[in-house]
Amino acid sequence: MLRDCSCRGMHRRAFLADLGMGFTGLALGALLAQEGIVRGGSVTGHVPPDGKPHFPPKAKSVIWLFMNGGVSHLESFDPKPMLNKYAGKTISETPYKDVQDPEKLKLARVVVVNDANGQQRNRLYPLQVGFKKRGKAGIEISDWFPHIGECSEDLAVIRSMYTTDDNHGAQTQFHSGRHMLDGEFPTLGAWVHYGLGTLNKNLPQFISMGRREYWNAKDGHYLGPQHDAVPLRIDPNNPLDFGKPERPTSRDEQRIGFDLVDRLNQLRAVEYPDDPALTARIRSYELAFRMQTSIPDILNFSQETEETRKLYGLDEAPTREFGMQLLAARRLVERGVRFIQIQHGAGGAGVWDAHGGLRTNHANNARAVDKPIAGLLKDLKRLGLLKETIVLFATEFGRTPGSQGSDGRDHHIYGFSVWMAGGGIKGGIVHGATDEIGFHAEEHRHYVTDIHATILHQLGLDSRRLEIPGRKRLDIDHGKVITQILA
Amino acid sequence: MHKTTVYRLGFAVLLLVSQFTNAAERVDYLRDIKPVLTERCYACHGALQQQGGLRLDTVSLMKQGGDRGPAIVAGKSSESILIDHLLGKPGARRMPPKGEGEPLKPDEIARIRAWIDQGATGPADEKPEPDPRDHWAFKVPVRPPLPRLKNTAGIRNPIDAFLAREHENLGLRPQPEADRRVLLRRLYLDLIGLPPTLEEQQAFLADPSPRAYEKVVERLLSSKQYGERWGRHWMDIWRYSDWWGLGDEVRNSQKHIWHWRDWILDSLNADKGYDQMIREMLAADELYPTDTDRLRATGYLARQYFKFNRNTWLEEVVEHTSKAFLGLTMNCTKCHDHKYDPFSQEDFYRFRAFFEPYQVRTDMVPGISDYEKDGIPRVFDCNLDAPTYVFVRGDERQPRKSKSIKPGLPALLAPRGVSIQPVSLPAEAYYPGLRPHVVDTLASDLQNLHTAAQAQLAQARKQLAALEQASKVTAQNPVKQADPLLLKEDFARLLPDRWETREGKWTHSGGKLVQEQIGASRGVLRLRSPVPRDFQATLRFTPTGGQTWKSVGITFDAGPAGEVLVYLSAYAGGAKLQVAYKQQSGEYVYPPEATQPREVKLGVAQELTLRIRDRLLNVAVGGKHALAYHLPIARREGAVELITYDARAEFHSFELRSLPADAQLTPAGKGGSSTVQTVAQARAAVILAEKTLARLAGELASLKARAAADRARYQNPPASDAPQRIAEAVRAEREVAVLVAEEALARAELEANQAKITAAKQQLEIARKNRNAPGGEYTPIRGSLKTLESNLESEASRNKPFPTTSTGRRSALAQWLTAADNPLTARVAVNHIWARHFGQPLVATVFDFGRKGAAPTHPELLDWLAVELRENNWSMKHLHRLIVTSAAYRRSSSTRGATDNLARDPENRYLWRMNAQRMQSEVIRDSLLHLAGNLDLTMGGPSIPITQESRRRSLYFVHSHNDQHKFLSIFDNANVLDCYRRAESIIPQQALALSNSRQTQEAAEQIARRLLGQAGLTTDEAFIRAAFETVLATTPTEAEQKACREALAEWRKAMGKTTPPAANGGQLTEIDVPLGRALVLALLNHNDFVTIR
Repeated sequence: MLRDCSCRGMHRRAFLADLGMGFTGLALGALLAQEGIVRGGSVTGHVPPDGKPHFPPKAKSVIWLFMNGGVSHLESFDPKPMLNKYAGKTISETPYKDVQDPEKLKLARVVVVNDANGQQRNRLYPLQVGFKKRGKAGIEISDWFPHIGECSEDLAVIRSMYTTDDNHGAQTQFHSGRHMLDGEFPTLGAWVHYGLGTLNKNLPQFISMGRREYWNAKDGHYLGPQHDAVPLRIDPNNPLDFGKPERPTSRDEQRIGFDLVDRLNQLRAVEYPDDPALTARIRSYELAFRMQTSIPDILNFSQETEETRKLYGLDEAPTREFGMQLLAARRLVERGVRFIQIQHGAGGAGVWDAHGGLRTNHANNARAVDKPIAGLLKDLKRLGLLKETIVLFATEFGRTPGSQGSDGRDHHIYGFSVWMAGGGIKGGIVHGATDEIGFHAEEHRHYVTDIHATILHQLGLDSRRLEIPGRKRLDIDHGKVITQILA
Repeated sequence: MHKTTVYRLGFAVLLLVSQFTNAAERVDYLRDIKPVLTERCYACHGALQQQGGLRLDTVSLMKQGGDRGPAIVAGKSSESILIDHLLGKPGARRMPPKGEGEPLKPDEIARIRAWIDQGATGPADEKPEPDPRDHWAFKVPVRPPLPRLKNTAGIRNPIDAFLAREHENLGLRPQPEADRRVLLRRLYLDLIGLPPTLEEQQAFLADPSPRAYEKVVERLLSSKQYGERWGRHWMDIWRYSDWWGLGDEVRNSQKHIWHWRDWILDSLNADKGYDQMIREMLAADELYPTDTDRLRATGYLARQYFKFNRNTWLEEVVEHTSKAFLGLTMNCTKCHDHKYDPFSQEDFYRFRAFFEPYQVRTDMVPGISDYEKDGIPRVFDCNLDAPTYVFVRGDERQPRKSKSIKPGLPALLAPRGVSIQPVSLPAEAYYPGLRPHVVDTLASDLQNLHTAAQAQLAQARKQLAALEQASKVTAQNPVKQADPLLLKEDFARLLPDRWETREGKWTHSGGKLVQEQIGASRGVLRLRSPVPRDFQATLRFTPTGGQTWKSVGITFDAGPAGEVLVYLSAYAGGAKLQVAYKQQSGEYVYPPEATQPREVKLGVAQELTLRIRDRLLNVAVGGKHALAYHLPIARREGAVELITYDARAEFHSFELRSLPADAQLTPAGKGGSSTVQTVAQARAAVILAEKTLARLAGELASLKARAAADRARYQNPPASDAPQRIAEAVRAEREVAVLVAEEALARAELEANQAKITAAKQQLEIARKNRNAPGGEYTPIRGSLKTLESNLESEASRNKPFPTTSTGRRSALAQWLTAADNPLTARVAVNHIWARHFGQPLVATVFDFGRKGAAPTHPELLDWLAVELRENNWSMKHLHRLIVTSAAYRRSSSTRGATDNLARDPENRYLWRMNAQRMQSEVIRDSLLHLAGNLDLTMGGPSIPITQESRRRSLYFVHSHNDQHKFLSIFDNANVLDCYRRAESIIPQQALALSNSRQTQEAAEQIARRLLGQAGLTTDEAFIRAAFETVLATTPTEAEQKACREALAEWRKAMGKTTPPAANGGQLTEIDVPLGRALVLALLNHNDFVTIR
């Protein structure tokens, strides 16, 4: 693939200034823009981002929570009593038969022809859980999410999302904004990484947690692999690929080695001056060396109080795994990491994919995430971090108002819910609406890139100014800022 | 609504216009107007197309106008219809048309207006857009004359001559030749992807011959490793990908696609012409229909397979065939006419039509009939009449069915069109069962099964004899009654001093004991009293509910360390009897041989009996023996418990006895259990084994008869005895049907399954009746398995005969691609090859030679090389030789002392020096193994799973959408979707991989050991020097020596080593393995290890 992000034209003066500053002296200023480069095609006229926002930002960091498989909007954040009233009736027998207007259904862009899933489900299935007005804002949220409900005053619930891939490629679509058949495009985290500088030279600025085997495991794509998220496993013994020597080596011994590598590389610049790759490699070794300690430090939860650990549910089996990821996320945000992408429940198409047994499935999955997420929101808030951190709760699509089999719901792309909190997002509001049976997003319809636009806007970035020559972006890629939810 | 928008737009325009007029700002045509028109209008109103007879690419053409008169009237924007169209005024269609582009921005329109009102002036000498026919890449390359040079010093071959002329013109002074070691390393890595060993370096340095370098070139080009190195390059371009899918289901690419990889490697090593390679990849099935070696080449098309969407599949074929071989972005024309190149939307579908009929199948290879294990994935024209339609705006839901598109090429590139002749295939091609190896392979498989069945029969007879003997003994010594009851519990009450309720919800009401808790949790009732080691227990209960598993049973040996479970599960997905146990690790094991499908119904009472002696367990259900199992774990002290898992159940009674020493237990079979327990069963088993043997013999006879019939029938002309042979084959196959039915009956009788017995008898009757029916057809010997066309294909259509002809479309396309007058093929190939030698292509947009692509930096050189390739039988080795022996290739990559050059040509467009390249991921890993003396040079064969440790070259690892080798992917391995150039990123994860992975650390240790094994490397200085030469192929400078010596001193301290006293006046110390390893590891992390200088 031709990568267009070139640093061939890296300024000679900047290069010379870096030389001779030594391993430690190199860092700060020089590291701000990027820790790596990619060579390949040559580009004229394009100025890569300088690491500064385009306009004053409202938020510094993003915690992106993604529920794999498709959370039922109908049993989480978008109650539809009419489903109970007309339960068991086919849609055509209800007053809402026009939701199946073929024109409206054309939104779906099919990847798997004649898939057993992603079909119309006609017989309305009643709500499998109760709803209550919750928290200070009194937003209706289901009984499976009582803890998140307590935080309602901080949430902007968006009930009018739609997407177009009726299969789980919609996971990729939510992250990159493009349908799977369009090819591979950078994800939002990669754009943020490309656009903004670092706040902490010891840590990567874009981190991903949770398994992502179903959809593409890369982020940078045409921006280059240096904009891929650094995967972080919440396993204090092995938090980072090749994160510590696989054969025992003392820290001192390793430090001497890194110092020698640095010194030899600097010396090589005598023979090969003006080599931007050499400069970039010297820098990459510095960050690498620091990551070996900074990453395990992040996972040292013993620095947290018992009360905090409980807040995230670390004391109970069902919530422990996700809770640890969220606690790590808070510790990363605290240290200035920009974008933390967390996948809940990978494996197969994603654990939330309740084609059958929805009640048990969603009850169990909600149990695993509800308390940790609420814990994260509360913890960020009391530390004053929520002001500058956007938390997003998202999923690839909702689930059908009609039943699949006897006790499931199928994929549903025409209307579903996500929510955001913090980072200059207005709390305690509900934005947009689906129709009476939760079929189509009707009021304030939003495609997934509207979420991207809103997040970029809060971070002070204009996606049009990030564009790379030769990589044409469409209007739909940029999305529209959801101004109604901005504080 | 629409009107309002127009109105608003107009209003905004007025405002802006007035701003312009007020400010009296002069609009500049070239700065403000032409770029907008170029971007938004020229595609339809320029050189490519003249919609409405109108061109907008010069001011005078605008004034001249088209079918509707002048587009602009100077000084009068209100009379200029261009403005009406841009605004979409009533009566004027908005331009660009809806669906083809957004309207122009109000300020753009305002400027155009202002420019017209200001007199619509433009440059006097404005030239119209060039005719696409004049685009350099669309003209056939002709060999340019060699340039005349003032100074021919340093010119080694024509490549240098072309470059030197530019150097002369630009005042560039090329860098000197690289250091010999650097040069040798560059050459090795470039040609074979492995660095020279210290010995190879020394041999080269010691060779006084003026042709020493050329000798190395020849040796490397003729080594097998050349094919592996350059094969990987072409695998990038041709999108090599191993298959991926879910479980065994193939979704993309094909199983065994590595045959195509091996064909690439073999072809390169044999220096097969590039043109021939293209012909074989696109159409070997038409050109060489029975040549298995060449058929491997069509893996190129088999790899494109995508199960779920045929359109996606074919669109990728069009996109990447045009990009890889032609350097054209045909993909842009899927939805609309090309914006820059002379291709219409219909051209996309014409190109697609070449591929429309093809599908994929796997041909059997000699010796292996199981297509899961091996086979050659290849293509063939399957649906000869499959129509191609244009999709409206590329939307597959909107095919324009009024017109079926015929295969064809853009007129400008193929003025003579393309001639397509159907190919009539030899019988062996469409009827692979005729290939002798197919019948041999199937026969040998049956023979093996037959041999195994004979052994099985012998075993069954032995078992029968043993059981008959045992039954005689039993008859003489009747089984003694089991020991007296230890416990007889009827649960009339739940006695707390007898039973401990540990988990679950146990209630006692109405005289019944019930466990009521369901869901993923257990109910446990533990017997408080101890239990003998060998015992017999019987539980009677009725399962009444549960969500999923509905399991009820008995555990024994239960305690913190483990337990053994025996239970009946009424799981709807498969009710069963199961023995399971908990391992020391805490994991539960559910051995398949201790699983027995059984009918377990809710509401029906069950009786479960266990008899355990040491590790031999007998389980009876309803009083009948069900399972014998030998526990693979040791017995422990532990309790007996009644358990439920996700089950509601009523418990009726429980009895416990100790097991008498002479009680007869059924021994466990080979796999832990056996279904054969009685003499009658053993007799049935013997009959079954006999029937199996007979069936296999019948199949062998049938195979031979069918093969004979095939041969007779497909002879040209068919043999006279063909009808007789066919009748024999039919008869033999029907005989097999009888034998199969007899075998099924024998199996049903062994299982004593009445329903199955009845069904089998019916089947047998039908088969017998059928045996003598007249006429009929036999099942053909396939020898090839068609891949499902898509997720919609039925098994029936999958098994229809292969067509006897092929459309000839793909071979026609391949002939055109490789014809001498194709303007693109040779140039595109040369550019790829050049890019990989020099780290920089001659045409930067390697897959776009169209008008939007980059112009060549050295057009004459490119054309000269293209003609050179074509005229030398498209030999790639010829081109490599030419390139690597040029002076240009041998230059130093350093910019040292070249301040002037840097100022004039900072990007080295004119190659006044060599470009350094970062090693590709595979080269890094292969080099580590090679320098450590660990590389396994075995070539070819199935791809190696990424989870497997391997010392083979990296290109043999599985590489697919789903599976990427971790170490390799950190260094930007190929994107399997599209990889015309590799990225060369520099990221911290690479530093971690190189410093911390076992791969590098082990290589460091082995390199250090090898060096330490050499004489004379005992001083720090000598070791450092040798390590530099080995790892980096350079000698260290004094400063580098010093840095390394100081690091060694620090390591010594850190490792707690004492420095031996200096001897011989020098700094003689002893380098040991840990020290040497540390130093080598640092050098492996040196920038110049992963860099090809």
